[in-house]
Amino acid sequence: MTAIVFRNLTKTYGKSHALDNLSAEIQPGRVTGLLGPNGAGKSTALRCLVGLATPSKGRARILGRRYARLQDPQRRVGVVLDSRGFHPGLSAYQNLHILTTMGGIDKGRIDEVLAEVELTEAKHKRVKGFSLGMKQRLCLASAILGNPEMLILDEPANGLDPAGIAWLRGFIRARAQAGATVLVSSHQLAELEEIVDDVIIIHKGAVVASGPVEEVTGGQRLEEAFLRLTGGDLS
Amino acid sequence: MRLLRAELLKISYQRAIWGLLLGSVLFSALGTGSSPVIIDRFSEQFGGGSLAESLYVDGVYANAVSGYIFAMLVGVLIVAGEFHHGTAVATFVAVPKRSRVLAAKMVAAGIAGLALQACATAAGFLAGYLALLAYPDAASPSIDIFINTSLSSLVSGVVLGILGAAIGALVRSQVPALVGVLLWLFAIEPIVILLLPEASQYSLTGLMTGIISLDLQAEAFNVDLGAYLPPLTATLFLFGYAIVFAIVALISSMRRDID
Repeated sequence: MTAIVFRNLTKTYGKSHALDNLSAEIQPGRVTGLLGPNGAGKSTALRCLVGLATPSKGRARILGRRYARLQDPQRRVGVVLDSRGFHPGLSAYQNLHILTTMGGIDKGRIDEVLAEVELTEAKHKRVKGFSLGMKQRLCLASAILGNPEMLILDEPANGLDPAGIAWLRGFIRARAQAGATVLVSSHQLAELEEIVDDVIIIHKGAVVASGPVEEVTGGQRLEEAFLRLTGGDLS
Repeated sequence: MRLLRAELLKISYQRAIWGLLLGSVLFSALGTGSSPVIIDRFSEQFGGGSLAESLYVDGVYANAVSGYIFAMLVGVLIVAGEFHHGTAVATFVAVPKRSRVLAAKMVAAGIAGLALQACATAAGFLAGYLALLAYPDAASPSIDIFINTSLSSLVSGVVLGILGAAIGALVRSQVPALVGVLLWLFAIEPIVILLLPEASQYSLTGLMTGIISLDLQAEAFNVDLGAYLPPLTATLFLFGYAIVFAIVALISSMRRDID
């Protein structure tokens, strides 16, 4: 079964089209990069996918159904949409404890995921004292609480230093090797080039190319192919 | 059930909510504790009544209900706080069925409002008792005033908690929602009551007063507590407000995107 399907997805805000008949498929067990310049519609597509935004037209399905229809979504899909998803006045442990309670997940998972993202020492530190990189890692910890078979990550490399980006690559690679499906959006192409199997390139709300990396790039570097496909717009 | 447990856990972890609990306890204690002084000093304005009469002592204890505003603020924080801190995204991703999330939040807000008003009212009763010790001639209060005031406090705690949560869900932005609630209770209601005195019995404060069922009059303060709705009718009206606002908030939340 196809892991994720976008079919003629359209989202308008007033007269502007954030998504314009976007159609794409993400295959299971592969790392897919959703690439596009800032404002291309990557985040909007992901928000429609997980039910935070309602499409004006078309549909987005995950594991064959609407996200809201998934049984125990935290155990099926881990989602990271921005690094603001935590109460700054609460500790990492408290924030994750709330999420485990919501999802009926064993509290013991909190220590495991904090260790996996290397935040064990910051367990009882309030989130407002976290660096951006620590917040991103806490987001990833929250996404894997339910040990899901799929990860959806929106710009997870934003604000990370080179060491953080290297760590993120390792994290995604490890998840992929464990058989997870990963959909990761980014406008920073070099960071994804080494880890994605497939790419979907979107520009002005529509797909301009999709498929295995080698097929889409045609032997070029991902960045060069991207510039060619988007008319040089890498804003 | 686990969603409700998560919401109660969130409440217990938030310092701002503990701060509001402390505020409501102090507000109720100060309001009740200062009442004997006011009644004693402005006896003429109360139609010559004094603390020697049981009715006026009852009036002192009735002020223990006054922490209700904090129950509404807690309700606002429980929902609007999620949008303020950006945690709404994580919440609605973890539990995408919005109606379930909002229902859990409203129940949690009702429970928080109830707990808050229980503490504030107990503190008010204690402060009133201690303040009245300074007046040896003060009459004994009626048993009814404790029952009715407790009932009014608990009902208002639940209802205003839910109302606050509904307003938080409608407005989403925390500061405007908090300011709106304060304006409603401290500006809009008093102005409406001043312009349309017959409408006062349907105001939030009027309905809570109706539940207390105290027949106290003070013409100089434009107060006639006997003119409010009977307790049961007032209770039903309060719950009616909560239900209407909760439904409107649910419908609105189902239609809007989560930012």
